[in-house]
Amino acid sequence: MTRRWSVALCCAAWLTGVGVGRPQDVNEETEKAIKQAVARVSSSVVQIETSGGTELLGGSGPNAVIKGIGPTTGVVVSPDGYIITSAFNFANKPSAVFVAIPGETERRVAKIVANDLTRMLTLIKVEATGLKVPPAVPKNEIRIGQWAVALGRTVDPNVNHPPSASVGIISALNRIWGKALQTDAKVSPANYGGPLIDVEGRVFGILIPANPFAEGDTAGVEWYDSGIGFAIPFEDVLAVLPRLKEGKDLRKGVLGITAASRDLYSTAAKVNTVAPESAAAKAGIQPGDEIIEIDGKVTRNQAQVQHALGPKYEGDVVSIKVRRGMEEKLFENIVLTGPLSAQSIAWLGVLPKRDDPELGMEIRYVFPGSPADEAGLKAGDRIMQVGTVAAPGAKEPPLVPFSGRDQLMQFLATQPSGVSLRLQVRRKDQGEKTETVTVRLKDLASTIPPEVPLPSSAGKALERPKVPPRPMPPPMPGESPPQPPGAPPRQPGESPQPRGGRPGPMPPIAPGAESSPPNLAERNKAEKGLLRRTNEARDKEYWLFVPENYDPQVSHGLIIWLHGRGPGGRDADDLRDIWENYCEKHHLILLGPKSENESGWVASESEFIAETARAIMREYTIDPQRVIAHGMGLGGQMAFYLGFHSRDLIRGVATTSAVLATQPKDPLPNQRLAFFIVAGTKDPNRMDIARSEKSLQEKRYPVEFREIEMGRQYLDAKTLAELVRWIDSLDRL
Amino acid sequence: MIARSLIVVMGLGLVPALLPAQTPFQDTVTDVNRKMAKLYGSGGFRGLPAYGSGIIISPKGHILTSANHLIDTPDLRVHLYDGSRYQAKVIVIEPVLDVALVKIEVTDADEYDRLDLPHFNVFEAMDAPPAQPGDWVLAFSNQFQIAVREEPMSVQRGVIAAYAKLHGRRGIFDASYTGDVYIVDAITNNPGAAGGALTTRTGRLLGVIGKELRNTLSETWLNYAIPIHARVETKQEDGTTRVVTMREFLEKGPRGEYKPANVRKKERGIGGYHGIVLVPNVVDRTPPYVDAVRPDSPAQKAGLQPDDLIVYIDGEPVNSIAAFNEYISKTNPGNEIVLEVRRGDRLISIRMTLDEHPRKDK
Repeated sequence: MTRRWSVALCCAAWLTGVGVGRPQDVNEETEKAIKQAVARVSSSVVQIETSGGTELLGGSGPNAVIKGIGPTTGVVVSPDGYIITSAFNFANKPSAVFVAIPGETERRVAKIVANDLTRMLTLIKVEATGLKVPPAVPKNEIRIGQWAVALGRTVDPNVNHPPSASVGIISALNRIWGKALQTDAKVSPANYGGPLIDVEGRVFGILIPANPFAEGDTAGVEWYDSGIGFAIPFEDVLAVLPRLKEGKDLRKGVLGITAASRDLYSTAAKVNTVAPESAAAKAGIQPGDEIIEIDGKVTRNQAQVQHALGPKYEGDVVSIKVRRGMEEKLFENIVLTGPLSAQSIAWLGVLPKRDDPELGMEIRYVFPGSPADEAGLKAGDRIMQVGTVAAPGAKEPPLVPFSGRDQLMQFLATQPSGVSLRLQVRRKDQGEKTETVTVRLKDLASTIPPEVPLPSSAGKALERPKVPPRPMPPPMPGESPPQPPGAPPRQPGESPQPRGGRPGPMPPIAPGAESSPPNLAERNKAEKGLLRRTNEARDKEYWLFVPENYDPQVSHGLIIWLHGRGPGGRDADDLRDIWENYCEKHHLILLGPKSENESGWVASESEFIAETARAIMREYTIDPQRVIAHGMGLGGQMAFYLGFHSRDLIRGVATTSAVLATQPKDPLPNQRLAFFIVAGTKDPNRMDIARSEKSLQEKRYPVEFREIEMGRQYLDAKTLAELVRWIDSLDRL
Repeated sequence: MIARSLIVVMGLGLVPALLPAQTPFQDTVTDVNRKMAKLYGSGGFRGLPAYGSGIIISPKGHILTSANHLIDTPDLRVHLYDGSRYQAKVIVIEPVLDVALVKIEVTDADEYDRLDLPHFNVFEAMDAPPAQPGDWVLAFSNQFQIAVREEPMSVQRGVIAAYAKLHGRRGIFDASYTGDVYIVDAITNNPGAAGGALTTRTGRLLGVIGKELRNTLSETWLNYAIPIHARVETKQEDGTTRVVTMREFLEKGPRGEYKPANVRKKERGIGGYHGIVLVPNVVDRTPPYVDAVRPDSPAQKAGLQPDDLIVYIDGEPVNSIAAFNEYISKTNPGNEIVLEVRRGDRLISIRMTLDEHPRKDK
């Protein structure tokens, strides 16, 4: 029965071959065959509806990804109601999920069971029995060029009709680092989560958006309907089903190394760093090792290493052979860990003297008990050069000179917590003499210094650093994003000049800050005081408070105040009165965008806020490391949103009486984000606010949590002073 | 196994090698291209193309095309398959179907008598059964103005992905047409493609390629055609309902007898009274959770409870408070609505008759 069409097709092809049939016959048979295949799998393709959730999934401007309001697609994977779908379909974090099953009159409530975070799939469950699981095409039978049909349930609301179909072929195998099939059938939000089937109605795979150089649940959406579509092999899906059914998210397996070269293809896969506590570290893999074999397969370059490790899950076991010097070493039974995303930022424990273009960096403050404190560093000391500590037996790598906070921060971002560094230090009041100390970096802790010494700035913000900053290397796929790309290996004897130095990822600088060099005379003319303005392009209002002692040579912190429901930007005077003294003393500028509706903010307004902040950063001397979103109640929720969606801009989120509504995203080492959360003891949402703190801490974000004796008012004097010190210490390193 | 390997062979496109003389669509394409017209008119600003496509439907040069900005000009020009060029004028536009009828102008009586253009028989096409999802189709249009004068249209091959109604409210915005469309899996709806033809494998006319539209169901660009048998019910200004059909348009249009529908402007009242108090609408898409139910209201009588989540009204998904309010605004007192609400882990149906809004007491 299942083969009847193929026999017909056979005949048609045969007849055509001998010149009897018309060409149309072949098309007709193919068409018929494909329709039958669709009909065969139709009852296993379900329609998923959601309620609530956000509208915007990410990106901005023309690149914004908006979640459609239509239904999405899923495929039955077990008769008792388990359904697999694309994680994209829930990327907007809906509050409820419903499923319509072909042939059934009633829709059902679905629960999200677990996510496969490596392949961006989500397993959901409805109460049902006797559902039909479609057969999988065995992976070893899949060939490039086979007909492939992508099915979806978005456009036709009737689930008893056949699903919508797009016909193409299998374009490639082993894409997305060995995890996906590629097809030229049109794959889009209209069929993500649906099946890619063959002409017999068997499932090749589950359609997902994907992009080999990006991660996350919306990566690859930009390629929708382009003829470049991806599907996770159904056999692989069924294989991990038992693990997903347990309700635990499946994460990718990570070895914990960074590569020595950014070149994926033409150099051997040499290890640059081994993250402490990682699978590689436990196995005994060392920096300098060259990976030559994974699970018995030869790996000649980094791309091959990524292909071998790409499909692995946390807990998977691999064996790795390395070349170390003249010998080869085999490490067997290496159990891969989950992503080291919770890997915290390496911390020295000092506050920098800012705006200093001279060589090195003066220490403004040493945090008690920090690595710097333990190494005996004192406020007023100046760190002149920095370098890593050689592996046992190897030659000590040379120290690297740098200029100012940003360059040191950039260097530290390439270092995992727990490694030791050598610092060349010029002691306070001891002239040109230097000494070298060794410090062992720790996790960036959330501590607010009890006092912050002033002045904070050397007052030369607009001067060029003596050591020129270096460009940002491209991100490396695979083990990214949590792991910073490794620095290139240095040749022994190489000059320790910046040219041969160790580039690391630059702390991203807001676009405004890196444009043409600011002109001092122009900046001096900048307006001061409380300014009420309109963003002409968007016809939106905002206010700005610049302290009277504003000096363009001193970098200022920027506080983006997001008003709550009601005041709608009429709170400028109040805020100015509260903050004025602090603004002068600690060099802060207040920015108060006004929401479109009196009733509060909508997520899409984050665009206007970020745009306005960037314009202010072009006009005034703003420290990109101290831009914070601050708000109360609804404004606080917007501050959380802005914090997670404008990562390149926001370094801190300070809220009062605001609940973190969504699951926090992972921290990124080169885009710091810290939180200062305040709850009133009489706030009815106190418990939820406390939970926000917990979920942020689980992600290992630096979080400060304060409870104050009140209901829903603004901060008391003590907490406000603390908030100011917190802002002033956001650029600690 | 043998069968399967044959499929692979076909997938690789080796079959044409067996057929040296002819490609599968050659005859169809040649035939259809003679019945297509390239249109040039207004545009060329704000990203609107000054070119478009049309379908010849009579020997005397009646052309069916999309009702877009292009034809809004006294200087409408048409290029035919043989390179001949004509001025053209608009005869009638039907916004409800989003189509227009234009006719080439021939001033010389002799020339007019001789005029016998290859054309689609639209009535035959209407009588044929509609295409089904999975049917192979061809799309002909002058997208991106790739062709000029006698050059043939760009032809694309795809399948009918779906035949579905796109509710303007729910699916697409900016679309005056609200009936069923053929959704195609080829990327057919590009600048200049509107007014092009969607045909079967054998060249039978299926529909008119529509304007570029975004589908808000999936937030993707739509590739669709308005079917040749299109039929839409619409409310007119005077309150009557009129059935607008492509058949009537194409029968009466060429004779100058077609009267376009007088569509009633969208009105939004407050709708019928239900007595449901929803939770505060704080985010973009706040889910419509019931916060409270007013005493003696239709909702209370029907048994709606606080914390119920309204999921569908009359089968339409309402995934936000905004969607709920919009649906209700179109109702009237006395209307019966069926809500499906999630209560705990179950979906339950609740039927209620909307009431007059209670008058505010002093």
